[in-house]
Amino acid sequence: MSDFLRSYLTVGIFGLIGVALVGVFLGLGKILRPNKPTLAKTEAYESGVEPTGDMWSQANIRYYVFALLFVMFDVEAVFIFPWATRLEAYGTFGLIEMAIFIFILLLGLLYAWRKGVLKWA
Amino acid sequence: MIAQLDSTVARPEITWDGLLPILTLGVGALLLVLFRSLMKQLPKAAADQAVPVIGGVTVIAMWVVGGFAGTDVPLAGLRDGLGDPVFFLGLLIMVGLGGWFAQYLRLSVDAALTVMIGLTSLAATWGVWTDRYEIDGAFGLVGDQLGADGFSLVITGVIASAIVLVALLLDDYLEREGMAGADMYVLMLFSGAGGAVMASANDLIVLFLALETLSIAVYVMAAMHMRRSESQEAGLKYFVLGAFSSAFLLYGIALTYGAVGSTNLIVIADFLEQNRLVEDGLLMAGMAMLLVGLGFKVAAAPFHAWTPDVYQGAPTPVVAFMASAVKAAGFAALVRVFVTTFADHADDWQPAVYALAILTLVVGSFMAIVQRDAKRMLAYSSISHAGFILVGVQAASNEGVSSVLFYAVAYTFLVIGSFGVLSIVSGEGDRGTSLDHLDGLSTRRPALALALTVFLLAQAGVPLTSGFVAKFAVIGAAVEARSYWLAIAAMVTAVVSAFLYLRIILSMYLGQAEDDAPTIRVPRAAGLAIIVALVITVGFGLVPGELDDITRDAIPVLIAAG
Amino acid sequence: MSSLLAASSADVPFPILSALVVTPFLGALLMLVLPNGRPEYFKQVAFLVSGAVAGMTAWVMVEFDKHTADEFQFVDSAEWIAGLGISWTLGLDGISLWLVVLTAALFPLTILAIEAEHTPKAYYAWLLLLEAGVMGVFLALDLFAFFVFFEIVLVPMYFLIGQWGHGARAYAATKFFVYTMFGSAFMLVGILATAFLTAAETGNAVSFDLVYLAEEQALATTTARWIFLSFAVAFAVKVPLFPVHTWLPDAHTNAPTAGSVILAGVMLKLGTYGLLRFGIYLFPEASVYFAPALVALGTIGIIYGAIAATMQKDLKRLVAYSSVAHLGFIVIGTFALNTEGLSGGLLQMVNHGISTGALFLLVGWIYDRRHTRLIAELGGLQKPAPVFAAVFMVVMLSSVGLPGLNGFVGEFLALLGAFAAHRWWAIVAATGVVIAALYLLWAYQRVFHGPAEGDNAEMKDLTWSEGAIMVPFLAAIFVMGLYPAPVLERMEPAVDALIEHIEGNVEDFDEADADQGEDLDVDDLKDLGKKKDSKATDESALVEGGAG
Repeated sequence: MSDFLRSYLTVGIFGLIGVALVGVFLGLGKILRPNKPTLAKTEAYESGVEPTGDMWSQANIRYYVFALLFVMFDVEAVFIFPWATRLEAYGTFGLIEMAIFIFILLLGLLYAWRKGVLKWA
Repeated sequence: MIAQLDSTVARPEITWDGLLPILTLGVGALLLVLFRSLMKQLPKAAADQAVPVIGGVTVIAMWVVGGFAGTDVPLAGLRDGLGDPVFFLGLLIMVGLGGWFAQYLRLSVDAALTVMIGLTSLAATWGVWTDRYEIDGAFGLVGDQLGADGFSLVITGVIASAIVLVALLLDDYLEREGMAGADMYVLMLFSGAGGAVMASANDLIVLFLALETLSIAVYVMAAMHMRRSESQEAGLKYFVLGAFSSAFLLYGIALTYGAVGSTNLIVIADFLEQNRLVEDGLLMAGMAMLLVGLGFKVAAAPFHAWTPDVYQGAPTPVVAFMASAVKAAGFAALVRVFVTTFADHADDWQPAVYALAILTLVVGSFMAIVQRDAKRMLAYSSISHAGFILVGVQAASNEGVSSVLFYAVAYTFLVIGSFGVLSIVSGEGDRGTSLDHLDGLSTRRPALALALTVFLLAQAGVPLTSGFVAKFAVIGAAVEARSYWLAIAAMVTAVVSAFLYLRIILSMYLGQAEDDAPTIRVPRAAGLAIIVALVITVGFGLVPGELDDITRDAIPVLIAAG
Repeated sequence: MSSLLAASSADVPFPILSALVVTPFLGALLMLVLPNGRPEYFKQVAFLVSGAVAGMTAWVMVEFDKHTADEFQFVDSAEWIAGLGISWTLGLDGISLWLVVLTAALFPLTILAIEAEHTPKAYYAWLLLLEAGVMGVFLALDLFAFFVFFEIVLVPMYFLIGQWGHGARAYAATKFFVYTMFGSAFMLVGILATAFLTAAETGNAVSFDLVYLAEEQALATTTARWIFLSFAVAFAVKVPLFPVHTWLPDAHTNAPTAGSVILAGVMLKLGTYGLLRFGIYLFPEASVYFAPALVALGTIGIIYGAIAATMQKDLKRLVAYSSVAHLGFIVIGTFALNTEGLSGGLLQMVNHGISTGALFLLVGWIYDRRHTRLIAELGGLQKPAPVFAAVFMVVMLSSVGLPGLNGFVGEFLALLGAFAAHRWWAIVAATGVVIAALYLLWAYQRVFHGPAEGDNAEMKDLTWSEGAIMVPFLAAIFVMGLYPAPVLERMEPAVDALIEHIEGNVEDFDEADADQGEDLDVDDLKDLGKKKDSKATDESALVEGGAG
């Protein structure tokens, strides 16, 4: 085995230990905890509110649209943070680049807005 | 990468004028979004006025942008040009003609703008080709990340042409299906820009990003027809399998990086040229993953399973775009990565491509003949065409690359023409795509039937069409690389495919149309697209010399930063 | 056949050969733009265009220099795809001359003789495109150009059979197309291999020029044999030779009359001409090597075709199978690889075009009148239509190979050559002549003799216009039967040059000459038909000829 691959051995061992740990602790819990099932305990947990209706409930499609828009700007942050730390090195060029990037994203928001996606009714 | 952080990052060398073909597409898409966001509803009168204006502006834009792309001093040229009365008059006439033509075609504003962007990009590509590439050879665009060589220029031209023709097809289609709006055009332009970057990419990461830009836009395009469940299914299927293949590609890039230490194609090629890897397992695995990932994109068997369903379900003009531009871009990446970058390991990947090619040819042609739906048949036939192009890739030579390009160009127009006719014939909701719906087309619409016949015969490789010369070039490359059996296998499967095309032709000419068959309306714009495709198909079949010269000049090279 | 390049296009003031190809092509395009309102124009225009081609061919025939018939004349060359060394080169020598003449003559006659059943516009357009393609095949001196024409003829014929045919026309048309394309698939690879390997061996640029490739002979023996096989497959399908002939009866039976006439008259010759020009000339060694196999296949075709023809109930199918047999004679003559055989095969190509073309025309007319081709439903036609019967008799006898008519000379020469080269096969093949007489005469008897009943009694005789169309056929049948010398003396130099070419390139090639080394004397042939006692059977003629 080459050195290169050998260095992955650590990763492998680490992974194995990780999997083993989960097994060990779940098994330990199973052995140690008391087991007294009641009907109320098997119900799904919904922030303390009593669950109603079917499991397969339909969510409003708008949730997804909002989620998507959120992800869009969330990911934008992922790009902007490292950029911000290195702005000095990039100089004006970097500023323009990021302006273009944000402009393109804003264009998406503008488009979604004009399409009426942001209206909730 | 880490080391770089400590130094000041230099602004990469950007050749703006050389970048114009790609920029036109990308910026055009952005401007179209902006325009449509700000002006959602154009007043009817304004829309009517706008179309001829756009037609006129198209001519000027082509001239100006094409000029900018070609020369360093466009303003001087501009001034001289305008000073010459004859030229000025000519330009005026052209502008007038452009305006009249746009009006005559009854284009919508969005379609007209898309056509304008596509034609401008085409003009820019032409400018770069004639005034820069032909004179100075290949050059870098953005540092050593993007390069303009003949190869990328031809593919960019193909993509721009596909955008123009598909926009013409889409115009009436969207109206018919009640989907009018700029969305489809914008997505197509984004996708095209992605494809053009993909063809010029000199770095695996750039290649991947471009591929994703290209693909994601097309996933949405496939699912755009919201009232057809097949379209939704097609979009989802394409998305899932496309994402799957992207993962393969990314993994391949990672493994290659692991083996070579860079994602830059120039560095990879140099490294492989100068070093002999003692343990090349990692590189082999990386190449295999890359092949699988790109194989998915170009629909090579056994990674073709998505193609029939997606082609059948997606809106027909979108299929035309997928089969032409997307496929061309995929092959561009395949050629650049394998033939150019991994040239020194050709012995390793050639057998794999050989096997893929044979399998693709066989699956594509044999599965096609048992279909009942014309769109599905053409989907399988596009698989077998991919097999033919792989035959050219397998040759791993300059001839092979030229033949791949020739095939890509020829096939683009063929397939847009074929799907264009189908799009018109199938009627509302893309329902009439089965063979029965083509019955008796020769009596209902003789011109359409003749056009489709020519396209199908060209796909079968009958002489005097571009399809034949393309096959000739590909088989020639294979024979020159001494892959005789591959060449024979390809030709024999072509005969099997011919059987399929004959079936379609038979139903058009011998079938009896039902009495209540709806009348087929041929919109002017779509008709124009089909005529253009027809003229190019027959033209390149009769006088292929020009295109042959171009594809011979267009060998991909990797440009190191200057 | 050596100095193609000597006669450059500069010597020819007008590219007459290109005109022969391009005129019908343009005519087909013209047909598309003619207005639909006046359908009678279509036929007239088609006839004018093909007539113009015939006129130009007549000029070529007169101007053709018989003393240099071994060279390509009227050569006409232009770059086509420069990057691949592909050029548009057309030329004519003693071998192709008569096939071109046959083509040029047959098309206007066919157009005149048969009305389109429907959609005349497309019908005549396809016919003209077909003429352009066939002309191109016979004239092309560039492998690429040849292949283009060879393939393009499929399309019009496909549509002619498919759209204007009868019965299982879709099946027949598709079978015809797919079979032929299958053969060509191999040939394309072969063509490319020839060009690229020659370039690799010689270090020259890639060229698809026939004469260059044939004179260079740069390929290794084994390679050349493989490539020859790839060509042979394509031509064998087209001829058609025995195992791959099955498309022919279907195509002929279901084709419209014009399709059958053209198919039998010229299109089958594309295969035999291809074997001659692109098989033997390009690969002399491989031809010598494979000659016995091809002669064997040809002989099987003769016997098989004859027996199958005997058993047919459909008159048209009978003629179709007789074509399989006749083409067998051409193949055995050609692959006898001697002057007699090659000339005989070549002559037989022309003869078969005349007599079988006329035969299909006559059968087509019978069908038009009686709406059946079943021999059992016909009978006694001689009474109501005596002239028709007489013409049919003459054409049929020419097909049988009666001395004094054209069929005899070709068949005799082919058998003579084959006898010298492959004695036993020739003897077997000769029995085919007897069977041919049997099935054709028997068919004639059943169709024309006996009592005429029902509709048969009412059959219309040959009209004046139909008779006028038959006149050129009959004239050709008699002239070529009684005085074949003008035809032969233009073929002979080209054939001799071909044999020299084989001798020059194949070591220990021994031309199996029929008359011990002496070339056949043209003067002997001039009155060949007269000299032989017309009572003598073909077999005895063969033995006499063979004995020298």
